[in-house]
Amino acid sequence: MNLFISFETGLREILSHKFRSFLSMLGIVLGVASLVATMALTGGMERGMRAFMEQMGGLEMVNIVDKEISSDLLDFWNLSPGRTLQDAHVIKAAAPLVSHVSPQIAFGLSASTADDSLRVRAAGVWPDYLAVAKHEIEAGRFLTDLDVDKGLRTAVIGAAVVDHLWPHWSPQAVIGQTIHLNDTPFTVVGVFKRYERDRDRLARERGTAQAVEERRARRGGRGGGWDPFRTKNEAVAIPLTTMFYEFRSGAFPDDSADTVRLENLSVRVGNLDHFEAALNEMRQALDITHRGVDDFGFDTREDWFDQMEQRMNATRTSGGLIAAIALIVGGIGITNIMLASITERVREIGIRRAVGARARDIFFQIVIESVIIALMGGVLGILVGVGLVQLITLIAPGDNEPLISSFSVLLSVTFAAVAGLVSGIYPALQASRLDPIQALRYE
Amino acid sequence: MPLVHLQDVRKTYVLGGQEIHALAGVDLSIEEGEFVAIIGPSGSGKSTLMHLLGCLDTPTSGKMEICGHDLSSASSDELSGVRNREIGFVFQSFNLLPRLNVVENVEVPLIYSGMAARERRERAEAVVRRVGLEARMRNRPTQLSGGQCQRVAIARALVNNPRIVFGDEPTGNLDSHTGELILGIFAELHQAGRTVVLVTHDPEIAAVTHRVIEIRDGRVRREYDPRTAPPDAAKIAGH
Ligand SMILES: Nc1ncnc2c1ncn2[C@@H]1O[C@H](COP(=O)(O)OP(=O)(O)OP(=O)(O)O)[C@@H](O)[C@H]1O
Ligand SMILES: [Mg+2]
Repeated sequence: MNLFISFETGLREILSHKFRSFLSMLGIVLGVASLVATMALTGGMERGMRAFMEQMGGLEMVNIVDKEISSDLLDFWNLSPGRTLQDAHVIKAAAPLVSHVSPQIAFGLSASTADDSLRVRAAGVWPDYLAVAKHEIEAGRFLTDLDVDKGLRTAVIGAAVVDHLWPHWSPQAVIGQTIHLNDTPFTVVGVFKRYERDRDRLARERGTAQAVEERRARRGGRGGGWDPFRTKNEAVAIPLTTMFYEFRSGAFPDDSADTVRLENLSVRVGNLDHFEAALNEMRQALDITHRGVDDFGFDTREDWFDQMEQRMNATRTSGGLIAAIALIVGGIGITNIMLASITERVREIGIRRAVGARARDIFFQIVIESVIIALMGGVLGILVGVGLVQLITLIAPGDNEPLISSFSVLLSVTFAAVAGLVSGIYPALQASRLDPIQALRYE
Repeated sequence: MPLVHLQDVRKTYVLGGQEIHALAGVDLSIEEGEFVAIIGPSGSGKSTLMHLLGCLDTPTSGKMEICGHDLSSASSDELSGVRNREIGFVFQSFNLLPRLNVVENVEVPLIYSGMAARERRERAEAVVRRVGLEARMRNRPTQLSGGQCQRVAIARALVNNPRIVFGDEPTGNLDSHTGELILGIFAELHQAGRTVVLVTHDPEIAAVTHRVIEIRDGRVRREYDPRTAPPDAAKIAGH
């Protein structure tokens, strides 16, 4: 007896008891729906976080940070100049596995036009800043070696700065304009791309941004929770040398920019396969400039990613647990219904055996029937799950759009089928073990 | 080589520690093409014997061969195969599947012999026509009379073209007129060369056959040809 026949027979049986079959599906529907919803929500979160990580420099980015030195070495501390521009030069020269080096001095400055002003945190940077910080240029150009070498008064600014100082101007229109940083005029040579989360982009594209803004204002908040891209959008980048010469305070010991303590020193490793080797190269180079004092460390994004994975897994596990419980309960429901349905069909089974059905034909008929019930429940569950996700985004929009992947759908259907298979085995065994003649006599 | 050969076949039921010898040593041979009636009083073991012949049950002891299959050592799957291909069985209570229509009911044995859907449908419809139910093909058993139901059951028994057809009181649930019609179908089957074995209480039915086997207390008590010994047969069969 081929599978198709079993399928047809099973389907007929299910359809002749529509309501009962529907009830027996409910557990599976619930399980699959929660599975789909959980995977959609975590999937969306994961995608959003990955995109954010990428924006913030990705795995290839390494921050060189200050480190507390052990107390017995305190005497040597002043031997080391700390993180200086010299470090950046040394890394650039002696660590070929590092593709980009971005030293940074930053000051809080006032940025102004004739009409308006704004407090910004301006960064004096090298051209490599663009690649390390994963900035993208929307209009104009980024700073070049020429800007840095000559100490030109050029600036590249973020979209939020444009919004504030030149409301409703296009990025292109801002190029060539003058921006005053603490009263020193700079020429805007470039504008960064606007960085935004999915939901902000959607709100803007759907034209609901206005409404969202208003709601925000009413709440008295500055933004919908924490906007991970805020700092990036408010960036003002000028040549590092210009920053040093224009805005240095008296704190600098001499006139050479090389000894300036850096606010931030980040690099980008060329190839992730040689990540450790690149770190070693940098460590050796920095040992020289820091005169052997171990006062620096490397802050990598791996830890971030690990944390993110952990949080994802926690969410997934709790969602998966709910789904698993629902699927098990659903499976038990199917077993129950199948057992009841077999008691009702003893005579039918006897008749089928009498005209030539083998024990295994009966077995498969029952198993396939419960798999069909489970699969129907699975399909219903996917629909319910998709609806649920839609409902969730409607009443409580999160930072990330949920992601219903074909993988999650496939997985859910598989789980449903397995639940049906497992729950059908016991009733099927019972049915196939019925003695033909006794089954025929059954009233 | 006879189509059916039984040698000292016994069937013993144990009920509450008490042994019931439903069949207490039956020796029997049936040749291809015979038309046989099995008679005997109630509880004598007729149905038990029929179930063994129909491969629905296995004997407690003894040797059984049907259509060349040694049933004393057959597996459950083998018995299913024999039931499916070599044997057609007609029950007193029709035993149709209530949710299937006439053609679908007749198709069921073909499903288990692995026939393709189209051929199955054609074969089933042809047999339904042969028992005169072409107008009722899409009706369900509950929409049919008893005689029509039994005709569907006969069609189902014939659909796989079995060598031997068994009927356990196939007219028992029918009025005498309808019973005669059904008996007529069995007689036609015999005339067409098929082996037919019927259990009956009705001496008139027994009289139509060519060989009457009388069972009493689980044993073959006597055998005769009703065409040569009619009056005596009528007396015995009618209790
Ligand atoms: N499953 C069973 N368990 C116990 N005893 C049984 C079983 N089936 C039949 N018997 C007994 O075996 C004997 C023969 O029964 P069987 O059904 O073969 O009689 P029968 O000749 O067909 O009678 P009837 O004419 O009433 O149909 C009876 O005594 C019956 O009680
Ligand atoms: Mg009987």
